[in-house]
Amino acid sequence: MDANTLLLGVVVLTALAFDFTNGFHDTANAMATSITTGALRPRIAVALSAVLNFAGAFLSLKVAATIASGIVETGAVTLTVVFSGLVGGLAWNLLTWYFGLPSSSSHALIGGVVGATLIAAGTSAVKADGLVTKVILPAVLSPVFAIMVATVGTFLVYRITARVPEGTRFRGFRIGQIGSASLVSLAHGTNDAQKTMGVITLALIAADVLRPGSGPPFWVIAACALSISLGTYLGGWRIIRTLGKGLTEIQSPQGFSAEGSSAAVILAASHFGFPLSTTHVCSGSIMGSGVGKRLAEVRWGIAGRMAAAWVITIPAAALVGAGAWKGTDVIGGMGGVTAVFALAVAFAGALFMAARRVPVTHDNVNETWTGTLAPERERAA
Amino acid sequence: MNLVEEVDALWKVLLAGMLGGVGLVTLYAFGLLMVSGRVTENGGTFARVMGRAVGGACFTVVLVGAGVGLYVILAK
Repeated sequence: MDANTLLLGVVVLTALAFDFTNGFHDTANAMATSITTGALRPRIAVALSAVLNFAGAFLSLKVAATIASGIVETGAVTLTVVFSGLVGGLAWNLLTWYFGLPSSSSHALIGGVVGATLIAAGTSAVKADGLVTKVILPAVLSPVFAIMVATVGTFLVYRITARVPEGTRFRGFRIGQIGSASLVSLAHGTNDAQKTMGVITLALIAADVLRPGSGPPFWVIAACALSISLGTYLGGWRIIRTLGKGLTEIQSPQGFSAEGSSAAVILAASHFGFPLSTTHVCSGSIMGSGVGKRLAEVRWGIAGRMAAAWVITIPAAALVGAGAWKGTDVIGGMGGVTAVFALAVAFAGALFMAARRVPVTHDNVNETWTGTLAPERERAA
Repeated sequence: MNLVEEVDALWKVLLAGMLGGVGLVTLYAFGLLMVSGRVTENGGTFARVMGRAVGGACFTVVLVGAGVGLYVILAK
């Protein structure tokens, strides 16, 4: 096996690992509301979301041309740049998961690739206007849109159903929540699994395994679908807890209007070709469902931390991406890639161990929010 | 996509988002209100049946809306 094949193997492995973190990072987007309102039991919710993500990955095979196309010069994207970008995205995804912060996996990946490209090929290889119109503008506007839609929706839903008996109301909104959350899961599988398919396809083309312009082979589609759905099934309980319990206390009518708003905004954006992040939309919708309900409390401190994480996602992932590229370059060759890969694995392991000290699981995800991510019972233990 | 196209798409996204995210969601809530019988409880049997029929029609429209959403994913 030559060095290039080995490098390709590492890139594919890293891409699938990224896809996996993408899955468990974003379970919360679709399922946090259904889990906290009791519409679905936690394990059932993540299983349903996993199946729909898997199916979603097969639904549409028109892969978004390449990662970060229009943002970086495609000519500057080498296998090492892709690898370093993935490491940047992966590191940021894991760190934000540890802190229970929902942040955009696409932004993390774009940030990683931009950082790696900047240091590999210089500033001329990054298209600033593309970064503004394709990433920054949508990032600012999508949560605002979602907040608006969910606020109005929640307000009206409460007004309309004020006289409906509690039993009918809960049952009705339970079904509504499951339906709308399923739609969000399906859309997520279609959008996000395709990003990784795009990355792997790009790597295969760069390594001359595929001809330029080829679509992803079946094994790539299947591997990405499997990877994102396994991640989803694992459930990012830490993020689910922040979104479902920390940001605001959600009841089933709010859960329904939040997911309804998310589904509508995501599908509308994908129809009109406006690139926005599922995470930003879903977090905005949940915030809106808190604003729209009279006397509901939105914990703006947590919202502020989330917004801060969104702002630093791209620079932080870019920094790691750039560092990863420099690391592989300084050490050189396959040894450099192996060293950076090993470092990334060690970082993931360390965070996993740290998270186990005060674990958030399907068992305690719905514990009363007492100001921190760690449930009271776990802290006392 | 340049800035002008972007702004043009923005309005459409917000409008479609409102239509689906507020329109369909409130229609579903209205459907629940109708089938719960709270509006028609003082009317006769006909009123109650009509209430349920209107509720059912609301749910059907919501389902069609969700179907359009699915079509959007498939047709992309």
